Amino acid sequence: MTEQAILEAVQEIFRDNFDDDTLVITRDTCADDIEDWDSLEQINLLTAIEKKFSIKFKLADVRNLKNVGDLLDLVGRMV
Amino acid sequence: MSNIYLITGATSDVGRTLIRRLLTGAPEGTLVLAQGCGDLDKLASLCQEFPGMVRPFDVDLSDPYKVDTFCQLLTQTCPAPTHFVHLPALPVINTKFKAFDEVRFAADMEIQVHSAVKLCKAILPAMTKARFGRLLFIQTSYTIGCPPKNTAAYVMAKSALGGLVKSLAVEYARFGVTVNCVAPSMMETHFLKDTPDLIVQAAAADNPMGRNATPEDVVPAMAFLLSEEARFITGVTLPVTGGSAIV
Repeated sequence: MTEQAILEAVQEIFRDNFDDDTLVITRDTCADDIEDWDSLEQINLLTAIEKKFSIKFKLADVRNLKNVGDLLDLVGRMV
Repeated sequence: MSNIYLITGATSDVGRTLIRRLLTGAPEGTLVLAQGCGDLDKLASLCQEFPGMVRPFDVDLSDPYKVDTFCQLLTQTCPAPTHFVHLPALPVINTKFKAFDEVRFAADMEIQVHSAVKLCKAILPAMTKARFGRLLFIQTSYTIGCPPKNTAAYVMAKSALGGLVKSLAVEYARFGVTVNCVAPSMMETHFLKDTPDLIVQAAAADNPMGRNATPEDVVPAMAFLLSEEARFITGVTLPVTGGSAIV
């Protein structure tokens, strides 16, 4: 699966989670860029991504994600 | 007077742990009227361990007519409960409010709240007459302070139970009937089957004690509130949270 395909799928999850159909994410997007992106929303995003890609994160793997780029890399290693 | 425990949601992990705690070393005549729904097989080992002390009832508490029948059955065929412990709830679903499931919420309100009202109405007259009774409900630490997002249905139903507890506590205190709650933080039981693992792991990591609660953490607090010693404690919600929610 290409990183672009992962990004597009993850962007859909972000849009649904944050109720914003116009939201555009990049590798540099981080929690500071999206007002509602707190620790609980992070978990919600991650569980939606787990479901979408049929993968299972470990808490230790996701605790230090700094931005969308880190997230895409992690998903890329697991799919 | 022997203790007669009515325990709804008795087939849950907490219910079974509580029954074992209450019946271990209990005097002859102690009886648990144990309600479950389609899963009474979970009580089989307790029935074998404590012969004649556990009487199971298969009742769907989401059906008000079946609850009415259960109330009639209790009052007509069973010794009057001295203790009532109400545990049933639908598993928590982490859902944003935009996806709020009104049908499921209505079912949860039937199971948790409306059944509690009917059962309390059925059993309180005998407790009042006996000048003794213990009512105990299970709330959640989510009702203490700021609740987590995406748990509106669960928090609303549990808050309604909290209102019932406070109201009954005041109304029945003079009759020697105490009405209390325990409010555990996230407890690792079958109840979490619909909760994503990451949420469970994150709750454990964020808890000051570094783990989630277990039934063995919560049941001793319940046993205390059900005891004779706790006779002057009523209307309280006792947090059992490892420090994750503090009143």
